[in-house]
Amino acid sequence: MKKFSQLAVPYIAWAVMMLIFPMFLMLLYSFTEHGNSIISFSFTLEHYVKFFSDPDFLLILWRSFGIAVKTTIICLLLGYPLAYFIARSSEKIQNILVLCITIPTWINMLVRTYAWIGLLSDGGPFARLLGLFGFEEVELLYTEFAVLLGMVYNFLPFMILQINTSLCKMDQSLLNASADLGATPAQTFWKVTFPLSLPGVINGITLVFLPAISSFFIPKLLGGGQYFLIGNLIENQFITVGEWNFGSAISMIMAVVMMLLMMVVKKLEVRNQGGKEEK
Amino acid sequence: MKKGNRSFGKILMILAIVFFYLPILYMIIFSFNEGKSLTSFTGFSLRWYQHMLESRDMMSALYTTFSVAILATAISTVVGTIAAIGLSKSKKIVRDVMEQVNNFPIMNPEIVTAIGFMLLFITFKVERGYMTMLLAHIAFCIPYVILSVMPKVRSLDPNLADAAMDLGATPWVALTRVIVPQITPGIFSGALMAFTMSVDDFIISYFVTGGGVKNLSIMVYTMSKRVNPSINAVSTLVVLIITVILVIINVVPLIAARRPKKAEISKRHIAVPAAVAAVVVACLVIVFGMNKGEVSDLPYAGQTLYIYLPGEYMGEEIIPAFEEQTGATVIVENFDSNEQMYIKVTNGESYDIIIPSDYMIMRLMDEGYLQKLDQSLLTCFEDLDEAVLSPAFDPDNEYSVSYFWGTVGIVYDKTKVSEADLEEQGYGIFLNEKYKGDIYLYDSERDSFMMALKDLGYSMNTENEAELQEAYNWLVQCVTTMEPEIVTDEIIDNMAQGRKALGLCYSGDATYIMSENENMGFYMPEEGTNRWYDSMVIPTTAESVELAHEFMNFISSYDMAYANSDYVGYTSPNLAVKEALSSEEEEGSYAGINAYLPRTDHPLDEVFVFNEEVKKLMGNLWSKVKIAASNAN
Amino acid sequence: MERKKVIEFRNIAKSFDKQITLKGINLDIYENEFVTLLGPSGCGKTTLLRILGGFLEADEGNIIFDGEEISHKPPYQRELNTVFQKYALFPHLSVYENIAFGLKLKKMSKDVIEQKVMKMLKLIGLEGYENKNTTLLSGGQQQRVAIARALVNEPKVLLLDEPLAALDLKLRKEMQYELKRIQQEVGITFIFVTHDQEEALTMSDKIVVMNGGEIQQVGTPEEIYNEPANRFVANFIGESNILPGVMLDDYKVRFDDITFDCVDYGFKKNEPVDVVIRPEDTDIVPVEQGKMTGEVLSTLFKGVHYEIMVETVPGTSVTVDMRVIHNHEVTSENGKEKINASNFYVDLEDVDKLDDKEIIARSNAMAWSTENDEYISIASIEYDIKPELGSYPVVFSTANGTAVERTVFVVNQPFIKNEKANEAIMAFNFFTTVDEIRESQTLDTDIKTWANAQGWKLSDESQSIDISVDYDFEPENVKEGVYKITFWTTGREFKIHTTDYSEVGQEVGLTFFPEDIHVMSRMTY
Repeated sequence: MKKFSQLAVPYIAWAVMMLIFPMFLMLLYSFTEHGNSIISFSFTLEHYVKFFSDPDFLLILWRSFGIAVKTTIICLLLGYPLAYFIARSSEKIQNILVLCITIPTWINMLVRTYAWIGLLSDGGPFARLLGLFGFEEVELLYTEFAVLLGMVYNFLPFMILQINTSLCKMDQSLLNASADLGATPAQTFWKVTFPLSLPGVINGITLVFLPAISSFFIPKLLGGGQYFLIGNLIENQFITVGEWNFGSAISMIMAVVMMLLMMVVKKLEVRNQGGKEEK
Repeated sequence: MKKGNRSFGKILMILAIVFFYLPILYMIIFSFNEGKSLTSFTGFSLRWYQHMLESRDMMSALYTTFSVAILATAISTVVGTIAAIGLSKSKKIVRDVMEQVNNFPIMNPEIVTAIGFMLLFITFKVERGYMTMLLAHIAFCIPYVILSVMPKVRSLDPNLADAAMDLGATPWVALTRVIVPQITPGIFSGALMAFTMSVDDFIISYFVTGGGVKNLSIMVYTMSKRVNPSINAVSTLVVLIITVILVIINVVPLIAARRPKKAEISKRHIAVPAAVAAVVVACLVIVFGMNKGEVSDLPYAGQTLYIYLPGEYMGEEIIPAFEEQTGATVIVENFDSNEQMYIKVTNGESYDIIIPSDYMIMRLMDEGYLQKLDQSLLTCFEDLDEAVLSPAFDPDNEYSVSYFWGTVGIVYDKTKVSEADLEEQGYGIFLNEKYKGDIYLYDSERDSFMMALKDLGYSMNTENEAELQEAYNWLVQCVTTMEPEIVTDEIIDNMAQGRKALGLCYSGDATYIMSENENMGFYMPEEGTNRWYDSMVIPTTAESVELAHEFMNFISSYDMAYANSDYVGYTSPNLAVKEALSSEEEEGSYAGINAYLPRTDHPLDEVFVFNEEVKKLMGNLWSKVKIAASNAN
Repeated sequence: MERKKVIEFRNIAKSFDKQITLKGINLDIYENEFVTLLGPSGCGKTTLLRILGGFLEADEGNIIFDGEEISHKPPYQRELNTVFQKYALFPHLSVYENIAFGLKLKKMSKDVIEQKVMKMLKLIGLEGYENKNTTLLSGGQQQRVAIARALVNEPKVLLLDEPLAALDLKLRKEMQYELKRIQQEVGITFIFVTHDQEEALTMSDKIVVMNGGEIQQVGTPEEIYNEPANRFVANFIGESNILPGVMLDDYKVRFDDITFDCVDYGFKKNEPVDVVIRPEDTDIVPVEQGKMTGEVLSTLFKGVHYEIMVETVPGTSVTVDMRVIHNHEVTSENGKEKINASNFYVDLEDVDKLDDKEIIARSNAMAWSTENDEYISIASIEYDIKPELGSYPVVFSTANGTAVERTVFVVNQPFIKNEKANEAIMAFNFFTTVDEIRESQTLDTDIKTWANAQGWKLSDESQSIDISVDYDFEPENVKEGVYKITFWTTGREFKIHTTDYSEVGQEVGLTFFPEDIHVMSRMTY
């Protein structure tokens, strides 16, 4: 059996090269002065100072955070009832519905986002529909609404699928037990079903929040050039400005912020377990 | 649950499905639209499909997307499965650490992973292109495979392999005949996930690619600024391919289950992915079969010309015509801005021709990234307009051959904007709250600062920091009070549709806009403007230098220059072409359009000069203007 | 004392996907009773419990709880609580929170809840565990928490759905006493579902035996054990000897061709019946004192007693000849291959069933390489066997043409019938070689194959019966020649539990008292 453990060796080597080393490089860049050589290493904190001392950058981070939170909340509010509905359907319908929700995720995100441009643009179906109700000249495209819509559109399936999985895994006898102990369906939902589906909810939140906070093509395609989020800032630093060191620093900040968030979420998940863990 | 809740759920579900499929449906419908509009359906036509099939860019993007996905899926499935088996038998500490490492690409924002890969390839000077994209895809797919295979391996009876070996199986046989069949469902779902991730990927591919290699996502991203219904056509094709794959995956097991013969069930696991792969490969072969050119005996057969130029900046027939004449293969890559181009070129990516603007040519020249042209190979100068010969940045035409030229001005809707306001206020009209929410700014630091500086009465090449700071304040005032949209090429279609009243715009784009919409006008303020020249240059890293010269002659010839200028709308440096296109008698496409004829006699008009300090300052200030605009929302 | 009915089931019927699970159940359950629903899995007992709990709705019939019709009440309005099969403890709540769940819903004050929960923890002996995570408790502890969680609501009836099934044997025994103690202490009705008859007998005041969606018998454990209503109950509860018999008259029953006195009456004259005699009610006595006689087949020490099997009706046997002949394999011309096979007999009726596989098996045909001793497949078999008496040639050959010819004898083989034991067996003479016997790893099975020995029930020819084989040679020392092989079956066996040892092979008498004979109506399926 020991022999099989050697099978992991090539992958470990690969992972060091392709997964660990790039992160290390990024860290290095973020602490070095401008200039793209890692051989002439000269340590500096200027990029971090630059980021944290400028309220505009912090505001961007804050706004990215805000839009990611909004996206996540909307996805949760829409995704939970949908996932619940699917989980309570007969198995056959369940499979069909899950497939219906999965198929769009198979189609390229950019392509699907691009399709919204036509739908939202002036003179498009939505604008015309609003026109019928007397809301003429409502700007849809290149607004925060459009960005939010694009994000919800792209990430909602992840939320639904995650919550649905955790709801389907739930033991029916727990719900019976709750009813047996005198809980009405509503009480059962809030005291048993919902707390037990939290791992799925947390997974869903992660899967929505992560791409939402770092997305840069959705704001660019649907928000227009004046819509700038942290992802756009990073892209801008690498692709247009060429300040890789500063870009690396922003990326590191984002990675660290996300890591901290994940740790908090993990803690919440552990707290969700009843009683103390005995070691 | 209660009946009421149930019907609420049903309605929500239906709405959700409509929400998910509406854009896809809309896209499919408009891929058959006769017109170019994305909002009004004018009739059924297959022209965008034809256009798609003729566009090598799109076909190669499709090919790249699916070939990378198939290769990455295959490799990452094999490697990931082996690694998962190995890791499950490793020491706990190794396993735990690797689990964390595996989570890097899954739990990190994708852009962080992408930048990590980019830095890795750059550090090791790996030329970015197809291989780097494939490597990156494999790297981020493997963790997903491991993630889905690992639980299956862990749930296996640990004695299984021992039992097999006890019965005389070699470790290899035990692995392939005993362990792998047991974890097939995990491997299969891992492979599926890897394939989805790879097909869908944009961010990582965007940062690790190079050399004109694009997948579908990158193509859509770079092409989406101008209305291009071929994107709908190619998207519809993708939907079709994905649907076929999904149907196979979901229906084949059903059919197989109906004939529950044991032998077939065991084959099924292999059959499904094999069938999927076969169908995809078949599709690809059908689509790309036509592209495999025959060997020719033309002068440049076998050579490849890499051209790097702004998006939507060349007539469609130019490249095929050039290829037909020379036998060479041309690979075109587009950039969004001169700055993006500069980063790529200075990082050692090799191109044969690039088409930057005046100040950037100056910079590249100064920094030694350009090679001198071989004047003996060039026959094109005699046809060129005197106005473009001997520009200030290259007075002896040692390095550059003019490609397009023009000015910057204000494009405006005659029905909404009074000419009096324009004449009175010039660029100041962009601060006039009468037009609040009805203006476009151009996402270019140079042009935006030019506008502000000129309005303030300064030179646009000023090196005075106070003046620049003043211009910055001018721009911040604009973005915080006027609710402008900051766009690049989107301005072209949007102004042609009359979406907004005013926009800062290149004369060439204005030409196109005015030819599409007669309500539009173009105004060049008296405070002066930027006169610019985009020219072809050959970088030092060029490999097909002779071919590059050939191309310069080719594109400057009357027929090609005419086709090029007619298509793009920018002013041709070829004098005869410029006159023909603007002449009423010859029914030129741009007759009577003032934007097509750049102003050459105004004393306040300037050409950009490169100054590193100013450029850096402007870049940073412009970033902050955009941030301010964004934060103003 | 007239006790009060708490639950009345009135004609409850339920089916799933057109499969009937409950066929009209009528059952009364009284106050303060420990009632067990006992039956094999799929008998409908859990379905009945779930209908009572409100998790399923019956297709037909009513449930009356405390005088009130509750068939359409949702579970949370029923005054009964359930202990679920796998406990269904809420994993996100601690022990305390689990137990307090129902009380909190009733909006009781905090201190009352605390008092009640603490009292329950004491009752189940888990004081100090209140803040533990339920998933970290042992099975027995989880079980107790589940009981406490249900009991704390002070239900009139507690439903327990196979609550002990997941526990190991020792813990299960412990919990049986524990449950009984708790039931007596709280003094409410327990309805307990199990498939374990011993559990049911130990704990219950009343047992309801169910099978096939019907109630088979309701009674105290003693009634159920001593007077099973039918063959099913007798078989399911305890061990028993069940014999087909005829009720000649009141108090007279005849089985195994002997007439016995008994205490049962009320059957029709000459009615076919099933007779139950419990193993522990039978004694072994000398042959002349026995009401029945037989030969001891096996004696198994069971701890407190011996389990002795006595054959009261002999089995069936048939003896055939085994001709051991010298090896006669054929070697290929190049000496690289060998092939061998034996002659064999086949019954006239079985000729049309012969195919290549069957012929290879019966003739024990095989081919092998002389170089590495590995088997080579037999590529072709040529034969033309007609369904007429006579002998026919068969040629076996390998792909390389090495061939051997053998003979198949088609005979009309009589079979041995045993009407009394309702069976018949048959076997053929056969040929084999010394090497084949020596090399056989499972000689008994091989001999049965070579002889094509078969046994079947007379009443149902498709039902085969086990055959044993006897021979008196040592496989290692076998030589060419003719050996007698006997195939035989065991007869009617009678199981006896006694503390006295009996030698296997001994002829013994069996005796029992008339009151130990329990006569039941034949079940009609």
